Amino acid sequence: MAAVRANILADAAARQGYIDGVLALKAEATGVMSNSLGIPGPPRDLATYDLFVVWHHWAMSVMTPPSQGDRNAAHRGPVFLPWHRFMLIFLEAQLQRVLGNPDFGLPYWSWSDDGELPLPEQPESPLWTEDCMGGDGDPARGFFVTDGPFADSSAFQVNVTADSNGVLRTVSRPLRRRFDLLLGLPPKTELQVALADGEYDEDPWTAEPVSFRNLLEGWVPAETQPHLHNRVHVWVGGDMLPASSPNDPVFYLNHCNVDRVWSAWLEDATGPRYLPDQSASDDLFRHRIDDPMFSIFTSADDDRWTPRRMLDVSATYGYDSLAIT
Amino acid sequence: MDDELREITEPSAYLPRVQAGEPPAGTHPHHGPIETVREAVYEGHRIRVRTVYAIEVDGRPVSGHLAAANDGRVHYHPVPNLSFASAVDLVKALIDAFPDDFEPDVDGHGGHGGSHH
Repeated sequence: MAAVRANILADAAARQGYIDGVLALKAEATGVMSNSLGIPGPPRDLATYDLFVVWHHWAMSVMTPPSQGDRNAAHRGPVFLPWHRFMLIFLEAQLQRVLGNPDFGLPYWSWSDDGELPLPEQPESPLWTEDCMGGDGDPARGFFVTDGPFADSSAFQVNVTADSNGVLRTVSRPLRRRFDLLLGLPPKTELQVALADGEYDEDPWTAEPVSFRNLLEGWVPAETQPHLHNRVHVWVGGDMLPASSPNDPVFYLNHCNVDRVWSAWLEDATGPRYLPDQSASDDLFRHRIDDPMFSIFTSADDDRWTPRRMLDVSATYGYDSLAIT
Repeated sequence: MDDELREITEPSAYLPRVQAGEPPAGTHPHHGPIETVREAVYEGHRIRVRTVYAIEVDGRPVSGHLAAANDGRVHYHPVPNLSFASAVDLVKALIDAFPDDFEPDVDGHGGHGGSHH
């Protein structure tokens, strides 16, 4: 049976399951030592949850191709959507395992609903209450989150984080958030513009062309960015900003909604459902439709996990609603 | 979930692969000035613009991976969801985003102050 992914603000069971599952993955030692992965700082036995932080950071460090410093193996290029879909499927499987519920579906945060609120009211969304994700960081305490299930008083600690030079290091500190109240969450009109763009992506396959992928990732229009996915990262701030952003459980709620928007776009697609195809230049390795996606969880010679494989995931999960209104 | 996905998402299957993993070259600390190259083809002519950034904050180098796009905007990997009209704007955002790396000065300025917008 395929899992059903629900709106976290409309499904109390999904909300509590997500919180319980994240805390369980955070408490689950793997025996993988940080120093064995070349991560500087005091050696730590990494939790299952932390491995996803490492995966995301490493993917962002793989330049595609290595001769340039812009497009990487998970962002600023066509593979952005299928790579994160693969990551979410992997996390969802871990949540199902620790919850003992093979049908558990990752919840999503429909952030454009909150983006319709006046700026001062956006942090008052039920998402940020004590029984959901907790709230903004406390400026008097280094922007640490002080309420909710991931508060500084809880067992939830950040164990690996990227510094200002982009180097992943071990730490032991509470989660940080720093809402950007002046920026505002994405409005629904931006989503409508993205969904109306029938071209998945286009040459030169960077952050510049106006395409569905770039609109949803949030790079265009460049003069007024960040948009959509990027805007949510920046609005939450704190640990949602660096390449180690999966440290904040809100990361997955954001990406689950991004994935839902992609699912809605795929359902209505009349042209190619993914570009580029395999005839594109080798410089686009990791981004072409049949290239293996970068993963620390699969062996280097496992070429099954491609963007094409991510285009039909109906046997694995679906959404309670694809209505993007 | 299909059987192949079920197999690879079992800890017994993936943990040995994680243990055997090698950090990509891009995760290693970078030292010295940051060089970025922009390339384009126009009217059959190959354009190449090489830019070198040597950025310091309070005399300490900032040395993460940086790229200038062909539209001139600057993207810095440690704040991956943003790009900036100028490198100065970028560094202001870094100071806000990484309070552990940029302690407030003796007068209490910096570190936690202001918005990057």
